[in-house]
Amino acid sequence: MATGQHGLASLRRTSSVANYANSAGSRHRRSFSTIPPSRSNEILQTTRPTRSPQPPAGMASTSDVDRTSDLSAKGMTASSGISSQHSSLSANAQPRNDGAGRRRRRLRSQYPRGSSEQHVEYILVASFDIDRGPVMEHQYPVAITGDEHMLAELMLPDQAHVRNQDWTIFFLHKDTSQEEDDAERRAKQERRARRNRKRDRAKGIIHESDDEDDEAGGLDDDEDDWDDDVSTDSEPEGGEGPPLVYVLNLVNTKQDKTVKRGAVVKAMAICTRHPFLHIYKPLLLLALEEYFKSPVPETLAMLYNAVNEMDLSLMPKLSHLERHLLQASDNKDLFVEKFEQMIQARIAEEAGGEDVLQPFDASNEPPKRPSIFRSGSRAHIEGHAAYVVPRDTHEFESKVMYKGIPIPIKVPVAVMPEIVGDFSLIKLIQNFSDPHTKSPQAFPLHPHLTTNGPNTHPIIVLINALLTQKRVIFLGHNMPSGEVAEAVLAACALASGGILRGFTRYAFPYTDLTKIDDLLKVPGFIAGVTNPTFEHHPEWWDLLCDLPTGKMKISSKIEAAPITEGLVYFQQQNPAYANLVHNSSSSGSSSNDLTGDAAFMADILRSISTRAGERVIRAKWRAWVLKFTRIAAAFEESVYGASALYIGSDEQEARLAGAHGHGYVWVDEATKAKELAGNVTRIEGWRNTRSYYSFIQDVAQLYTIRPLKGLDLAHLHDRLRAQRLTPAQSKEIYDTLAKYVRSYDEICLLLSVAPESQAGLFYIALGLFHKDRDVRFKTAELLERVAEHEAGRHWWRALSRFEKLAYVRIKREAEAEMKAKLEKEERDGFSPVERRIS
Amino acid sequence: MGASMSITSLFGKLFGSKEVRILMLGLDAAGKTTILYKLKLNQTMTTIPTVGFNVETFTYKNIKFNMWDVGGQDKIRPLWRHYYSGTQGLVFVVDSSDHARIKEARTELHRILNDLEMSDCLLLVFANKQDLAGAMDIKTITEKLELSKLEKRPWFVQPAIAIQGEGLTEGFGWLSDNIKNMAKK
Repeated sequence: MATGQHGLASLRRTSSVANYANSAGSRHRRSFSTIPPSRSNEILQTTRPTRSPQPPAGMASTSDVDRTSDLSAKGMTASSGISSQHSSLSANAQPRNDGAGRRRRRLRSQYPRGSSEQHVEYILVASFDIDRGPVMEHQYPVAITGDEHMLAELMLPDQAHVRNQDWTIFFLHKDTSQEEDDAERRAKQERRARRNRKRDRAKGIIHESDDEDDEAGGLDDDEDDWDDDVSTDSEPEGGEGPPLVYVLNLVNTKQDKTVKRGAVVKAMAICTRHPFLHIYKPLLLLALEEYFKSPVPETLAMLYNAVNEMDLSLMPKLSHLERHLLQASDNKDLFVEKFEQMIQARIAEEAGGEDVLQPFDASNEPPKRPSIFRSGSRAHIEGHAAYVVPRDTHEFESKVMYKGIPIPIKVPVAVMPEIVGDFSLIKLIQNFSDPHTKSPQAFPLHPHLTTNGPNTHPIIVLINALLTQKRVIFLGHNMPSGEVAEAVLAACALASGGILRGFTRYAFPYTDLTKIDDLLKVPGFIAGVTNPTFEHHPEWWDLLCDLPTGKMKISSKIEAAPITEGLVYFQQQNPAYANLVHNSSSSGSSSNDLTGDAAFMADILRSISTRAGERVIRAKWRAWVLKFTRIAAAFEESVYGASALYIGSDEQEARLAGAHGHGYVWVDEATKAKELAGNVTRIEGWRNTRSYYSFIQDVAQLYTIRPLKGLDLAHLHDRLRAQRLTPAQSKEIYDTLAKYVRSYDEICLLLSVAPESQAGLFYIALGLFHKDRDVRFKTAELLERVAEHEAGRHWWRALSRFEKLAYVRIKREAEAEMKAKLEKEERDGFSPVERRIS
Repeated sequence: MGASMSITSLFGKLFGSKEVRILMLGLDAAGKTTILYKLKLNQTMTTIPTVGFNVETFTYKNIKFNMWDVGGQDKIRPLWRHYYSGTQGLVFVVDSSDHARIKEARTELHRILNDLEMSDCLLLVFANKQDLAGAMDIKTITEKLELSKLEKRPWFVQPAIAIQGEGLTEGFGWLSDNIKNMAKK
């Protein structure tokens, strides 16, 4: 069994920063990041054909389908050109029936039935012994190895005795053993070898050992597919070791006159690898109550079995881009098709057990839709529907049967990195904004933290502290430790935005004095405590966020920010803006909002006061973090001449005919220099942190699965949005978009740079009004493709009426022209061309 | 008796602005939490073992006391040291009827006082639970705790019955007088 360890202890291992950049080489179990270099087109085609994604009736566009495989195959080798070049030739083709092209990634379940992975790995019970302090009472199914006593301490938070009930959350860094690692690797190699042989055989190459493999291979087919998917779709798991084990803990104090000193304090915890651990709250409440009645291991077993029987197999697995779209969208129907598909596959499977994976041709009669109802609909409530799609596609609805009672559970569908548990960014922001608005406090200046001078908004100070890897403590004296933990989780999400990593792994949502020695060995952490003695030790932290008062304190003992090369270079290169750079000697950036953060915070607070939801606020922060990384990339390119924060060389761009360029878009050079000047210090502070290094790894990893390599869609879109372009310039951009954005994934990418929460397709649809007729036509075609897209149809629907009318007019024009042309050609004796604009 | 202590007087706010940090330690079940809430609320509370700590602020004789009561189980005693810095007075509570563990109490007390961060702090010992049969008197307690070994440090042993509030005023009277003396020095 692996060694279970509280993170603090095992962190010593990783505290040498030197090898972060290289850590990509050593992969652990379940870090789905390595992409087998041997993969090629053929392998993909051996996966079973599946049906295409529910084409809306009458819109038979399959050109995207055939290209998916080309794309991912070509993308594997760095030398290959732009993946979509092929597509532009065959695009607009009518549905073809050449089977080879009609492969598509099969829609999979996030948590397939029969998977060996458990939802919950351990159940623990601890209690506070009058004589001995915290002790572990039971562990199920087996004992977590490691420091049992430390676990018990974590389960019994400070001041549990003054509350009847309290929640805590903490993380365990569980190392997989060497043997486990090896076994995993061997199994993977074997599967790959088998696949290769199968492929070779398909080509007519015979292996000696083929016979035996055939049988074994046939059975394992499915499993191979899982493996496949895992390596194509999943983004890297952080590259810093095995996934964390998340622990949700409930502690109860019961007054009991019959026992010594009048009270019993017991805690029960659930250990899971799912970041959505909050779903287990109702179950823990019931189970701990049960445990007070019968304090035996069987009580733990009952909970363990109940939660592991939870069926999430109908929850579809989304690709990286799809998850981003779903996360950023408020639309409750987005990707609902995928849920229906999962259910249809299941119904078909149950009906006959025959091969449900037969592709059905888009040209054939679509299969009769079995009755699938929306959750909460009348049919559902009346019990006519065996399967239902969720009310809101962001949450998959399931249930856990505990002691015969069905407990409803909602599982988030799009799980982003560093988003753990249930928390509210709005609550965190308000907690520190309200006191700041009423009586702003002046911070002592620190170049990394006070990027807007002494009156920098506390939330900005917080995010700066997190980005530059400071030691951050959330202190909630007299607060339930659950609330403190929530603040820590919210802070992680704030700084990550689902984009950056390296926060939750160094977060200690709830910790106490017993762990202080270990905590202080961690370079840069985010910890939640309830003990006010932490405030008396400024040598333990850099930023203290006091939750009850909503005040933040920068430590008097914080390390000064070094003067870095980047800062000096920037000042030399931009003498005109040099004095705007914030360093300890001047507070030049305080007066004017160079970073734009003051305006940003004002916008956030306005959104909160107008009752924008949590999702909206998270999307805005995500945009902030994304912008920060893009500004950092621009900074590195201008100061150091290169940046690992963006992949895609000029050479590659040059090969594309059409608009190019990449990176963040500013209105003009002066604006750019000013914004960079405002950001220099914190970018330089970020450049040596864990989140910086893992971001570089992630960028490289995502690049391999990204469609449209070498084309920065965000850049193009932002130029349309932000800059004043000549008709020739904008033509170039519209042409490029229309030419390259074709496949399912490419459209997803386009949607992701034009989120609904901002302007959606507005700037793209402006191409319908371009003075060049050709641009108008091509834009209309592009929009048509988007409208037929599973997610794109929602973006299309949100388009203004004005733009939709323009689209209809252009389509009519195009049809009329085409008709005239055809007639002319017929008259001239040519045979009608196959190509037509549908 | 204790009522005057629990009310924050206007004068307290005017003059006694500076907080005095007091740390209250002792073996488990010595009565620390009972003393804290007797002082703070003038109420006798049925206390249960302290998981971690309690901290309360109250004013007595124009001095604002910020008093920390830290759990006493032996497993959590190593944490005491984190509360030392900035502490001006140590209140050490002893269960006078617990003959078996008085030696253990002595060892813990001297370990605390030997810490560099505690070198300047006052020591008040509450010889608690005087109402119980077989309770040691203050002379015995002084001997058993080897207080004579303490040289320059001002110390004081006060007999007390915390659940009745007896002896607490006297003890804190000594504490506040000596804190004022320290301030004058």
